[in-house]
Amino acid sequence: MSADADAMLKALLAVPGRGPDEAFASRVERAVRAEEKLRAARRAAWRRFTAEMAAAAALLAAFVLIERRAPADSLNLISPFGPAAAGLMLLALWIWVSIRPDFGARDN
Amino acid sequence: MRRHERRVRSFLARLTGGEGADDLAQETFLKAWRMASSWRGDGPYLGWLLRIAWRCFLSSRRGRRETTSEAGEQAVAADEIARIDIARALAGLPARERAAALLCFGEGCSHAEAAAILDLPLGTLKSIVARARTGLVRQLEGHER
Repeated sequence: MSADADAMLKALLAVPGRGPDEAFASRVERAVRAEEKLRAARRAAWRRFTAEMAAAAALLAAFVLIERRAPADSLNLISPFGPAAAGLMLLALWIWVSIRPDFGARDN
Repeated sequence: MRRHERRVRSFLARLTGGEGADDLAQETFLKAWRMASSWRGDGPYLGWLLRIAWRCFLSSRRGRRETTSEAGEQAVAADEIARIDIARALAGLPARERAAALLCFGEGCSHAEAAAILDLPLGTLKSIVARARTGLVRQLEGHER
């Protein structure tokens, strides 16, 4: 009885044979390609972020070193005509360029 | 993917009653692509895919109440009386029993393979298959009367 029931269920539940569904296969391939593009864009964004953070850290370090070399009798204020001021202006310009959305679009 | 899409989609279609089966199948193949490096080749590739498909099905069910009565009617062509009956019978089973029946009777998986796919102990899987068999036969006999 159990063997008959198993045979009946196997016959009823057998997967019908057909060829591969190309429309479905194309759909999955499109999804895979979209995910590959997303991963590549994410990697590029992280590389750019890392490079810019390293450059910003280098600039800040340069600024700190320059300020440490200020004369002993100075007021420890930033001279508006000195290298530190130029470095600060450059850093401010860089940050402004990085955070503007239309400048971020140039990598696409 | 082309080699296995028929069986994965059929498994999911019968499991879900057709609702969202292709979306789940796409998600299954995407996950398989992402996790390709984790397949150790220690069993059939189809079994690994079906395991992912089962987990996708379980994830999709979280937070949703399962409807059993409508599900079977959506999955089957109208001109196949026997398949309508089996679809309705499947729809009357809990999801785990339905999956176990599909794997062991439909896909021809051994009990050990089905237990690995469904992440169940072998003894538990055998009990579930026995309950599924009894449930299906009872419902099919009920339809014939």
